[in-house]
This record gives sequence, structure tokens and C-alpha cells, in this order.
Amino acid sequence: MTPSNTAPAPSSDEVVIEARNLSKVYRDFWGRDKKAALKPLNLAVKKGEIFGLLGPNGSGKTTTLKLLLGLIFPTSGEAFVFGRPATDVAKNERIGYLPEESYLYKFLDAEETLDFYGRLFGMPPEERARRAAALIEMVGLGRDRKRQLREYSKGMTRRIGIAQALINDPELVLLDEPTSGLDPIGTREVKDLIIDLKQRGKTVVMCSHLLADVEDVCDRIAVLHQGELKELGRVEDLLRVTGVTQFQARDLAPAAYDAVRKVLAEHGASDIEIGHPRTTLEDLFLDVVRDTEARPGRRAQAAATPDKPAGA
Amino acid sequence: MVLEEEIPTFAAWFGPALLTFLLTAALVILFVGLAAWVVQAVRDGPLAAGDRVYRGVLTGLQDLAGTSPRRVWALARLAIKEALRRNVLVVLGVFGLVILFAGWFLDPATVDPGRLYLGFILAATSFLVCTVTLVLAVFSLPADIKSKAIQTVTTKPVRTGEIVLGRFLGFAVVGTLLLGIMGLAGWGFVVRSVQHSHEIASLDVREVRDEEGGLTGFEGRTGPGRGHRHFLRLDAEGNGVAETFHGHRHPVTAQSQDGQLVFEVGSPAGILEARRPLRGTLRFLDREGRPAAKGISVGAEWAYRQYIEGGTAAAAIWTFEGVGEDEFPDGLPLEMTVRVFRTYKGTITEGIHGTVQLRNPSTQLRSEAFPIVAREFTIDELWIPRQLNTVLADGGVREADLYTDFVSDGRVEVWLQCLEPAQYYGVAQADFYLRAGDGSFAINYAKSCLGAWFAMLIVTAMGVMFSTFLSAPVALVSSLAVLLIGQFREFIARLFTSQVTGDASIAPGGGPIESLYRIVTQTSITLELDPTPAVQAMKLVDTVLLAPMRLAAGLFPSLATLGTGEFVAGGFDIPGDLLAAHAAETLAYVAAFCIAGAFCLRAREVAS
Repeated sequence: MTPSNTAPAPSSDEVVIEARNLSKVYRDFWGRDKKAALKPLNLAVKKGEIFGLLGPNGSGKTTTLKLLLGLIFPTSGEAFVFGRPATDVAKNERIGYLPEESYLYKFLDAEETLDFYGRLFGMPPEERARRAAALIEMVGLGRDRKRQLREYSKGMTRRIGIAQALINDPELVLLDEPTSGLDPIGTREVKDLIIDLKQRGKTVVMCSHLLADVEDVCDRIAVLHQGELKELGRVEDLLRVTGVTQFQARDLAPAAYDAVRKVLAEHGASDIEIGHPRTTLEDLFLDVVRDTEARPGRRAQAAATPDKPAGA
Repeated sequence: MVLEEEIPTFAAWFGPALLTFLLTAALVILFVGLAAWVVQAVRDGPLAAGDRVYRGVLTGLQDLAGTSPRRVWALARLAIKEALRRNVLVVLGVFGLVILFAGWFLDPATVDPGRLYLGFILAATSFLVCTVTLVLAVFSLPADIKSKAIQTVTTKPVRTGEIVLGRFLGFAVVGTLLLGIMGLAGWGFVVRSVQHSHEIASLDVREVRDEEGGLTGFEGRTGPGRGHRHFLRLDAEGNGVAETFHGHRHPVTAQSQDGQLVFEVGSPAGILEARRPLRGTLRFLDREGRPAAKGISVGAEWAYRQYIEGGTAAAAIWTFEGVGEDEFPDGLPLEMTVRVFRTYKGTITEGIHGTVQLRNPSTQLRSEAFPIVAREFTIDELWIPRQLNTVLADGGVREADLYTDFVSDGRVEVWLQCLEPAQYYGVAQADFYLRAGDGSFAINYAKSCLGAWFAMLIVTAMGVMFSTFLSAPVALVSSLAVLLIGQFREFIARLFTSQVTGDASIAPGGGPIESLYRIVTQTSITLELDPTPAVQAMKLVDTVLLAPMRLAAGLFPSLATLGTGEFVAGGFDIPGDLLAAHAAETLAYVAAFCIAGAFCLRAREVAS
């Protein structure tokens, strides 16, 4: 996948998705209410942003996505995508969707899969072939392009699922648990891809219960719990801890710690802590893998240098 | 062959058929719309329900209008790949086994091997193809919904109509491929199976000489083959035919070797044919020679054939139209099937004697009587020459010309009479015809396969439709139930008509309640019940019960009526009008099932 850096969100005020009092109650055969999967939800997603739906299992994330896609019908309220009702098939021309698990046709191989979905968009043969080849390379399945999907591992299936979601170069990408089943490298690649999509002006809506993934890529999030919207806002606003100030410095000698403490105390600061920042386990893992790939045969030194900072 | 109803021309059939289709479709749409509204109204109130139903129908129609052939083909390709990768071609192996067993167990020595082999192969082919495509159709979409693969399709710009049509088209292509291969294999099997020859031993042939002792020909019998022998009719050179037996004949040629004639019997002719009959209309005269609405019933429940009494003035008279020199320049090739009802055994190994005469419908001039012997169960041929004799009023005889004396404005009458007292001839309108020509058997066989193809298309479309809202096993059972009811479509229609008109002869025995009563009381179906108030009430309940059954039966397809195997097996060319009517009927069913399937799929939540 194409690595990318995190650039500012080129979002606009144009609303791509809008939910108005959207709710869903699952009913049994006799029409009796079985479960209120989503309580009235009001939501707007703007063009160019990465929007995260966050919540534990059964919180209504996937139900929301399915309602937006017209896969299920709302009990009440309305959903609009690109200004059209969610049940309007025409909206799908501009949408890419990755389901919770990659529900694909197991008897097709990767090329056939992308060719099939490309045909559904009415893409000409040359464009289909070009897009399919590029996407297969992008998701790292070049060597497995002729294998039927029933032979794929879960991660590989996820990758081809992502490729099919992008076959039409969509303006809006809906991703349901996009990193589910992927190894840390795959997870990072998907997150890079999501950020890359945003840089290309696409709108991404992803739902996940992996908090780190959401935190890494999303501009805004909605937190759902038991079918109800609990929080909605920009990630940085929601995560900001007010009343605490953080400084960072490189190559500061331990001898200077006391001086710093003294200055801060003089300015009325309390609960002063000075120490080394921690890297994430994901970054550490990726560094190890990259290092190993760059220098094959080199032994791991983590045990020998337990306090070695990341990136050294 | 049996032809209970005349085959109308396509032009005459199409108008009323289209009207019936449109009326039925309108009724069904009205009923379904009303039912949908009631269900919605219970949940959301009448106004909201009306709005939903209206919007549902409107957007559904818009979706249908926006159907893209490209997407349909993409989905059809998917269905084809799915079928092929699930090893659907294994059914060809099953068909191979069927042929193998047919080769072992079907008796080639039967009276009509062509009918036996063709009937079996066509039925087996149709059954296998329909079964395979039905199973594919009912299991595919529910499997997609269960595996949720459908979610990656419906989130593309794909209309539900395209999904339904794509499935149907894909499985139809697979069915067509299977039918093509099975049809070709079946053709080869039938052609090879009916092939046979006979030896002619010199002891079985004797010379025929005239009064001066000159050799005029040979007569005798062929050696046995396939359980039968043929009488020989050969000229002085030893060439001629092994006469028709078991529905076929053989050409015979002779070659002189060492001063002796060696006879060689060729391949059978007349087994695999495609006769094009010119059929007439039938009327009867009773034993006094007076016009009668029907012939005599000999008690058979199936009143297809009517009987005429032998040794009386009773006659069965066919009037043929469109008879001319251009069509039949050398004479009239009359072919007939005459059944016999014996009131005494007589000489059981011999047929019952009778005559055939021509009569001019305008001048009433009669030809000489051509003697016939009714042999039953075979088609007898009678060649009426161009020059023939006529019997004058004074009992004299004069030569006459077929067209000058017996054909008037293209019309000619053929009279059949039975000569033996207390014996009866049984005939139906389709039993006598003039053989106007022959079509290609290969083309006729292909036409019959086309009938199987129509059946396969209907079954596939129905399976796909049911699979849009039912689970696979339930869809399979529902499809089979519909097909089963469809098989009794004609019967239910007759039963309803009989019930409404009160004419028990149309369908004796009454409706479900009356039938049950007759079973319990062991009352014959031909016995009229006393019109007591209880019986009247029972009949009324039967009428009420039969009305929805009649409506349902009218909706359901009858694969039996689409089958044209009887034509091919009987050696008759399948009329183009019939084929065109079947094609239109198939199209109507396929369109109705696909549209219904599209709406059903649209109305359900594929991801719930």
C-alpha cells in the first residue's frame, strides 16, 4: 500500500452524509419489536473528512452503515447520501464499501473479483484491467492474483475486500472494521491508505472498536453505545486534557531536570512529571520488521538493550 | 398421435392470450398491492402505508426502466462461473449413465422403437436440465444472502431487477449449454438405437411368375431382426421394399453373385420422420345414416375417440380443405389410425375390415370404396390415386379424376365405414390426415429440444423468483408445488367449468367435497347424485373452493403443455404456430417471474 504522511484535512462544508432522526428497530416475523439497534440519530459527514463511528460490539455502528447504504430500511427518520435518499441505487456510483468481513465470492480469483465489481460500475475493459492490476499491487496480492478466494487467509481476503471497495475510485468510502484480521503491517498500510484517500479529497467513514485505529486516522468521531449517540466531535477536541501542559525536548541532560522543575514550580505548576515519552507497540513492531527486511540475518537486540528508545 | 384440441394459428391465439395475460397481471398486481398496503397500514397507519406502497411501486418501476444490459451480463457471468465451479457439468455424467441404462433396458423390439427411445430421451433430457437449473436457481441467491456476498453487490449501482435477471440469464445459459450437449448426445443415441437391418435367406424368398411363366417379381419375408420380420415386395430384378411393419420399412436391393441373387436390406425408413399433416374436420353419421353430433361412446372415460358401428350406415367423415393439384399432384397420401372396439372376439389375429371412400362435398359424387384393415396402434397408409373409379347411380362404374370429380373448391370428403357388423371403429379428428409433406427430422428434434428449453427457462425464472424471498429449501418446495399444480391446470379448469355449468360430462366426479363424499360412500363418479339440499350445499361449497384453485391454476405454468415430445415421438412435425405460442407463453412467464422477483428482492432487507 502507498505510505503517506498525515496532512491537514482538505474538508469542506459540503455535506456528503446526513442522518435525520435515523432509527432502526429489528422486528420478528410477526412484526413485534425485537431489538432497538439504533435510536434516533442525527449526523452529518462533510466532504473530505475521515469520520469514525466508535463503539463496543452491538452499539449500532454497523447498523448505521447499513442504513446509510440502503441495505436495511429505517424504522423512522431519513438518511441521505450525496443528497439522495439512502435507498437510491444511483448514489452507489460514488460509493465504495468494505463490509465487516469481506463478503466476496469465494469461487472467483482476485482478478475476476475486481473485474466483476468493475463491470457492475460499467467500466470499460481496459480501465477495469488497469484498475484491477493497480489495486491488486496496492493491496499486495500480486503473487496471488490467480488463486481463488477460498484459498485466501483472512488478511488476504480483507485486502481484496479493500481493493473491491476502491475499484470505482469512489468519492465516499465506507469501511466497516477495516483493520479487522490484518497484521500490524497490514493495519498500518490500511491506515496510511485511509489518510491517502483523504488527501485525494475522498470522504471516509469507518467504524471500528479499535480505539487506536480511530484515533490515528479520524478527524471526527461519533461514539455510539447501546444504539445511542453519546459523543460527537473532532478527535483532538475530545481527547484534549485541559489543565495539563506538556513540554518536549530532545537531548536534555538529566542535570537540567531540577532546574526545569524549579522554574515550573515558580510559575505555580503542580504534579510536575519529567521522563521519557513512550512509543507505541505498533511503531516498535514496524521498526523491527523494517530493520529486519533492510538487514536480513541481523539478530534482534531488544533483550540486550531493554531501555533502547524507539527509532534508535 | 393424440391431439385433443385443434392448434390455432399464432395470430388467432395471440390476441385472446395477451388479453388473458394482461387481465391476470392486473389482478395479481392489485391483489399484491392491496396486501402490501394492509400490512404497512397495520404498522404505520393507512396514509403512510399508501405513501410507502406508492413510492415503492414508483421507484421499483424506475429501477426496472434503468436496467443496464452490461450489469445484467456481469451478474449472468457470475452465475455461470458459480455453476461451472460448483461442478454442474457432473450432470452430463448422470445423463451418460441414463443413456447407458436406456441402452440396456429399453426394448428395441417394441412395436414403435422410435417413439420409445425418443420419448425416453426427451423426457430424461428435459427432467435433468430443469432439475439442475431449478436447484441452481433456488440455492444461489439465498446462499449469497446468507454469506452476505450480496451486500457487496447491492452496494454497487445495481438494481434488484438486474440481480434477478442476471441470475436467471446465467443459469439459463448453463441450462442451454447442458441441453445442447444432452440434446446432441440423445440424438446420436436415438439414431443409433433404431438402426437395424435384416438378413434375407434364399429359402424365405420365392419367385412370382405370371400366367406365361415369366418372372414378375419376388415375395417372401425378411429374416428376424429386433423381434420382427417384414413382408417383401420386390420386382423382377430383386429390388423393392420390405413392407411397413412396426412403423417402418426397408429398401431392398439385389445383386447377382455367381448367378444367384443376393438381397441386401437397407436402413429402416419411416421411424424418425416429421410428417406435415393436412388435417380436416370430423363429423359423424349414425347407424341410420343421419347426421349425429358425436359417434357412439363405448364406455371409455376418455371420450377422445368416438365410435361408429360396423355393418350399418354409420360413418366418420372428414372434410379436408385446401386440397389441390399443386399440393398433391399425383394423388392423395391418406394416413390413418383406426381403433377397434370388438363386441365379439372374432379372428383376433386379423384386423377389422372397413372402407374408405372419397365424396365430392358439392356434387355428392362418390369414389369406389378402398378396402382397409384396421390394425390399431399403427399408422396405416392409403394412397388414393389421381385416376380412380366412381360408382354411378345405376350401379355402373366409370373412370374419374380426383380433382375434376371429387374436389370442389379445394374441399374433399373422406368417408370411413366399418364393414363388420357388431364391431366398431373408433376415431378422432386427428386420426385421419393427408400427408402434405415431410419436414427434416433433425429440425423437428431441435424444435422439441426448444420445448424443453422453454420449460427450463420457466423453471429457472420461477426458482429465482422464489429465492428472492424464501430460503433455499422452501423455495425449492414452493417451485415444485407450483409445477405440480400447473400439471393439473387443465383438469382444474375443466373441473371448475363443470361445476359452474353443471355439466358433469366435462369433469365427472365433482369438486373436492363431492369427491370426498363419493369416496366415502363408494359412489361411482358417473352416477348423478340426487339434488337434495345437502348435495346442493356441497356443490356450492365446491364451487367456492374451486374458484381460487381455478385462478391459481391459471397463473401457474404447465410444463406438460409446453412439451412437444409427443409430436417428435409420434413422427409429426411440430407446427410453427404451436412453437410460437409456446415461445410467447414462456416469455410472459419469464417476464412475470423476473419482475415479481425484482420487487420481492427490493422489498426485503438483504442485510438484516
